[in-house]
Amino acid sequence: MEPLLELQGVSVNFSGLQALANVTFNAHAGEVRAVIGPNGAGKTTLFNAISGYVPSTEGAMHFMGKPIHGLAPHEISAMGVRRTFQNGGLFPEMTALENVLTGLHVDIDSSFLGIVLGLREAREAEREGLARARRLLDLMDLGAIADQPVKDLSGGQQRMVEIVRTLATEPPLLLLDEPVVGLSPPMRDRMMEIIRRLAGEEGIGIMLIEHVIDLVMSGSDIIVVLSSGEMIAEGPPDEIRQNREVLEAYLGHA
Amino acid sequence: MSRLQRIYYLIPVVALVIPFMANEYLLWVVNAMLVYILVTVGFNLVIGNLGQLAFANTAFFGIGAYTAAILMVYAGIPYVLAIVASAVAGGVAGFLASVTALRGIRLYYLAIITLAFGELMRWVYLHGDKVTRGSDGLQIPQPSFFWIPLDSEMPKFYVFLLLTVLVVKATSNLMRSRIGRAIVSIRDNEASTASLGIHTARYIVVAFVWSGSVVGIAGAMFAALIERVFPESFGLTEIIVHFGMVLVGGTGSIVGSVLGAITLTALPEYFRQFPGMDELLFGVIIVLVLLFLPKGLVSLLCRISPAFNERYYRE
Repeated sequence: MEPLLELQGVSVNFSGLQALANVTFNAHAGEVRAVIGPNGAGKTTLFNAISGYVPSTEGAMHFMGKPIHGLAPHEISAMGVRRTFQNGGLFPEMTALENVLTGLHVDIDSSFLGIVLGLREAREAEREGLARARRLLDLMDLGAIADQPVKDLSGGQQRMVEIVRTLATEPPLLLLDEPVVGLSPPMRDRMMEIIRRLAGEEGIGIMLIEHVIDLVMSGSDIIVVLSSGEMIAEGPPDEIRQNREVLEAYLGHA
Repeated sequence: MSRLQRIYYLIPVVALVIPFMANEYLLWVVNAMLVYILVTVGFNLVIGNLGQLAFANTAFFGIGAYTAAILMVYAGIPYVLAIVASAVAGGVAGFLASVTALRGIRLYYLAIITLAFGELMRWVYLHGDKVTRGSDGLQIPQPSFFWIPLDSEMPKFYVFLLLTVLVVKATSNLMRSRIGRAIVSIRDNEASTASLGIHTARYIVVAFVWSGSVVGIAGAMFAALIERVFPESFGLTEIIVHFGMVLVGGTGSIVGSVLGAITLTALPEYFRQFPGMDELLFGVIIVLVLLFLPKGLVSLLCRISPAFNERYYRE
């Protein structure tokens, strides 16, 4: 099977500091790929490099065969690589519905002139988007809070809304930066279940950054371990559990 | 939302009742309100919706007024075309202002650079006296809207009302669409907006250009309202007045812009009969509203009906 995302020797250099060094792997559709590593290992930098927020200094990145290195975040996103943010990327003053609608932006096909003049084609495109946004929220049992500003929602609801917004355009690849941090254990399990289902049933390729090792071990197909910007291991959970280098990086024994 | 749209039923009522209740002076005040509604709606788009501290809007207002005046005086073009030219000139000025924001000049830096731009334009009007007649002001010939001569406040009222309703409605359409949402999402979180495939730079430009055009049209109306364009109408004090209208009405709200413009045109005008009171009152209103209604007068309406909350889509 052709990989969804190919990284070849990707390096990121912050004025002399090597944040990522020569990272190479392929990510596939329908796979949950966890990225783990100690603080400062370069996990978020890896996501930022893939999604275009940080320029890679070396190496090549391809998404569905097309080069994505050097592209701007909105271009990479429009190609079908979507991400969430560690600190939450929602628009707090907007309602949940408006957040999801904004997520559908590239799919709402209305012209500038049509919008300004209130022409029928533009109103219809907007109406379709609105119906789709409501449906998506309903699917995740968020219909009841659709019209509330997201700043008034609980942390768990906010995470869910962000996932719905990110998924709205049915992207083939999803990058989730700590999707369960700050959630209660039952919410955490529910989120992991949703993530597993998105990969298993929808065939979406998912990469996620996570600190809770139990969740990573039980919830992911492949684990990538970063340490000081280098990829020190890649493999299924069972293999990673026994990897000496990984244990050293985490526990610091010789 | 449909309940809110009933506000539009008020427009024909206003159109029919006001001219017969008001004398020439009161009608002049109402016409000034209509001008300031557009000024505030345009300003609020950049301050409230896009969330950028750009104070170039008063300069856009002046550019619109001088564009209309100069073209009417020296090129003898009809008023209708002067309005279009003012919209274009305001849009171009808006585009230039957006370039500073796109270059990463934000917050206080954007505030000071746009304030300086406003003062620079005032200086140009003052010293470009061969064309602008400097501080004497540039007298415009009596405008006609198509075949209607705007020789008194009554015809001006109907023309201004038409322009204001059309421009406010178009702006409202824009804000309640994917474009308006993109603009607000940039204010709320610019980085994550890009992660949704939205070309943020493009919408920053759209917001500034639209704002400039709306205020440019207001400038052309202003030229017809006062019939002589002065540099002092676009100075620092006016920037504060326009900013005050945005804050008192409510940032990021079109209904708020209308309320702010009406309130801060009517009350100081009323208190003008007590010398010195109008300026004092202007300050007092801003302080009181910011203290007790930090989200502006529109928040009072929101308490009555949630339909007044600013929404970014149409049912």
